[in-house]
This record gives sequence, C-alpha cells and structure tokens, in this order.
Amino acid sequence: MSQISRICPVTDAEAERIVRPATFADLADRITASPAATADGRPGRPDPAASSRARRRWLIGAPLAAGLAAAVLLVTWLASPAQRVGPAGVGPQVAQALSFTTSGRYITVIVRNPLADPSRYRAEFAARHLDITLTLVPASPSLVGTLVYSGQSGGANITPITAQGKCYTGGGGSACPVGVRIPADFRGQAQLVFGRAARPGERYESTAPATAPGEVMHGMRFQGDTVSQVLAMLRERDVTVPVFNYARQGYARNLSHVPGTWYVYDAAPWASQQVMLFVGPTKTPPSANSPQPGTPVPSPTS
Amino acid sequence: MSKGAGVPSPPVAAWDERQRRFEEVYLTYRGSILGYVLRRTENPDDAADIIAETFLTAWRRLEDVPCDAEARLWLYGVARRVLANHHRGARRRSALTERLRADLAIGYRPPEFDDGQAQIAEAFRCLPPAERELLTLSAWEGLDYGQIAVVLGCSRNAVRLRLFRARKRFAGELASCQARSAHPAVHVPNGGLA
Repeated sequence: MSQISRICPVTDAEAERIVRPATFADLADRITASPAATADGRPGRPDPAASSRARRRWLIGAPLAAGLAAAVLLVTWLASPAQRVGPAGVGPQVAQALSFTTSGRYITVIVRNPLADPSRYRAEFAARHLDITLTLVPASPSLVGTLVYSGQSGGANITPITAQGKCYTGGGGSACPVGVRIPADFRGQAQLVFGRAARPGERYESTAPATAPGEVMHGMRFQGDTVSQVLAMLRERDVTVPVFNYARQGYARNLSHVPGTWYVYDAAPWASQQVMLFVGPTKTPPSANSPQPGTPVPSPTS
Repeated sequence: MSKGAGVPSPPVAAWDERQRRFEEVYLTYRGSILGYVLRRTENPDDAADIIAETFLTAWRRLEDVPCDAEARLWLYGVARRVLANHHRGARRRSALTERLRADLAIGYRPPEFDDGQAQIAEAFRCLPPAERELLTLSAWEGLDYGQIAVVLGCSRNAVRLRLFRARKRFAGELASCQARSAHPAVHVPNGGLA
C-alpha cells in the first residue's frame, strides 16, 4: 500500500453504500428524462414520446435557474381533487387552457384546464409572445400541483416560486416549487412540467420518496425486512407491488414476482396505491462492483 | 385528453437499447464515479452535482462511451473536467440531484486521520495540484500509466515521467513533515533549541 493510499478518504464500495438504491434509480430516471444529444451533438429538447415510453421518467429534473422576476406563473386547480382523477372527471371544457393576469411587472398565469392538450398551453403562451412549453404529468400525491421540471435556453432567468408544505422532498424538506417567475420581456425558450393527479392505474412519471408525508408508505420502516414482511405491511394499507426492481451485475431488471425471503432495500411510488420495491437476495444491497457469489474476486482499487 | 403512456412510436427499440446501454454503464460505474468525486470534494452538494453532470454527459454522449472497461476511464475524464469547472466557480445547482445531495449529506463523513495519516496529508497538500492528481489516480483509482494517460489525454511516457517526479517530490515533502514533527520532541525536555 502506498502512502497516498493511506489517506484515501473513501473507497468506491463505501461510497456506493452511502446512497440508497432508490436514489440511484431516481437519478438515472432524471438523467434519462433529459434530452439526449441531437444529430449535431447538441442537447435537444425532451422527447415527450420518449418520456411516455420510459414511464415514470419525468421527475424533478433540470436546473431551476435563478434570476430576476417579472412574471409569475402559478398553477391552481379549478377542479376539485375528485374531479382531477379519471378521464370522465374533467368537467365542462373551458374556453381557455390558461388565464393570464397582468399586475404591475407581473403576469399571473393560471392553468384553467390541467388536462388540456399541451399544444393549447403553448398556443396561449405564444399569443403573448412567450415561447413556453407547459405540460402536466402524472405525479405521486405529494408532488401534485408542483413544478417537477423546468428548463430554459436563452432569455433572462426563470425562477421557481416555492411554497412550504406543498410537497415533501428527498432531503426531508417540504418547500417545493409551485410556479415560476419569468421576466415580462422573456424572449428565450422554456419548458415547464407540472405534476398532476394520476388516473387509477396510470403510472407516475414524477415521484417523491415513497415514505414522504402524503405518500403511501409514509412512516413505514422496512429497509432490511423481507419481501413477505413488507408485502404484509403494504396490504394493510391497500398498497400493491406490481414491480420489483432487482439490480445485479450491471443490469436492473423489473420482475413481477420475487421470492418472499428476499430483502427490501428501498421503495418508490409507482402508481396510485402501488409502489415498486428494490429487492435482492442479500440482507444489504450489494455494491454494483462487489463480487457476486462464485465469481473471481478482482484486485482491490488502490 | 392527455396522451396515454402506451403511445406506440417507431424508435422504441432504439430508445430502449439506449436506455439499457446507459443503465449498464450507470450501474457498473456509479460507485467508481461516486468514489472518485467524493475523494476530491468534501461538500456533498458539490459532489452530487458533479456526479449528476458526469452521468448526464454520458447519457447525452452515449455513443462516445467506450463499450469495455475503458468506459470507467472515459467517465473519470468527464468527471475530472466537471470537477475542474466546479473548482473554477462554475457551480450549477441542479434539481436533478436533490435526493443524492440528501443521501450524501447524511451518509458521508470525511475520515479523521491519525498522526501518521495527518503527516501524509500535510505533505500531500504541499504538492502542486497536477502532481496530486497524478498520485491519486494511481493510488486511489488504481490506474496504471496507460490508463492515467487516457484520463488525462497525454502520452503514457509523459505520465511515467511526471509520476516519477511527483513521487519524488512527495517523498521529500513527507520527510520534511516528519522532520518538523520529530524536531520539537527532541528539544522539549530542555525547553527549546540550544
């Protein structure tokens, strides 16, 4: 061992153990929800079809830029919570998908129809010379009504407006962006995505931690319990598990069934009253680079 | 109104393959990159942003990521540039990393060194950044001359020569530290130097 090795602050395996499997999966989801390179090698816009295919892909992603404000975008829900859910619960079609109120240097934009076709939002922004793409995606309960993605190119900066108690974040905070402020003379291009309530069975495309307040596993302690034990706890809450995520040897697989004797490492909201469990046969999640049973042991790093 | 999640689209297979390929790279090397970054920055917020930006680059430039173990070196090269930009003040707080920041803030504590390690660390800190980087790529990431050359984008021979000089300088600094440390112990009984 070299002298420098003696002051190595942390090994790869130690580092990997710090981060929860759901956090790793969450980051991968957020990254792959970002636009991939276009033909010229520059980042392109997000592909909505890709996000649909990828399911559960849109999350609180992309930098929320900071800067001066001159316009306010707020999403409020004119429909009651019950009306938000279900294809038949939208209510009468409103004339406008958005409403704009100018007040001093600010414009307040209200989403009148959270299930409108995104092209309608875009058209109404465009009518006010704002190149803003607004979409709404099914989100886990604590993220409904919050801004889950904001990206922009060009123009003065857009800033999120946060509201306390609107949702619960992975860091234990409860301040979530519920809108954005944009300069009145904004001439850049922006993409905004808000969370909406999911229809029954519809998969979330944006999720908070499964144990966050407002989520179906709030207050549960389950890490290190067996699959059988956790399923029993979930049954008491009328929560089902359609998918088990099992990562092994560089691949993560989604399985519909796993042995009840396996262990649960983490969980993530999947759809209304459904969660995905991160599982494996060992009590603690194996490091991605740690040797699998029966495989040769590689030489250690450093 | 809202489009369903199962809308068919022609490039599904290509997209799925891209996802699968990224997942393979991510699952295989996330520990290595996390370790690499944590070894070089103690701030969990910075570490989270650097890790996210590194893998975001990998996602956007997936076609450039080597298919074999060279992928790790490619990722080190990206992380190295992101880290350098970060040190130059180009901080970009990303909402991508909210949970990662939280996990690192809770779970990561820089180690406390004993006296021997503290001396090594002190000598190490006296070296120029470029030499520190060479030594750590060798000792912490376990890279050989050729691999370091890939990460740094220089020749293998240059790495060999520069690493030789860095080791020599480090040995000199360490000897100085040890001498400084040993000196007071010799003279303390007399209350000072003669």
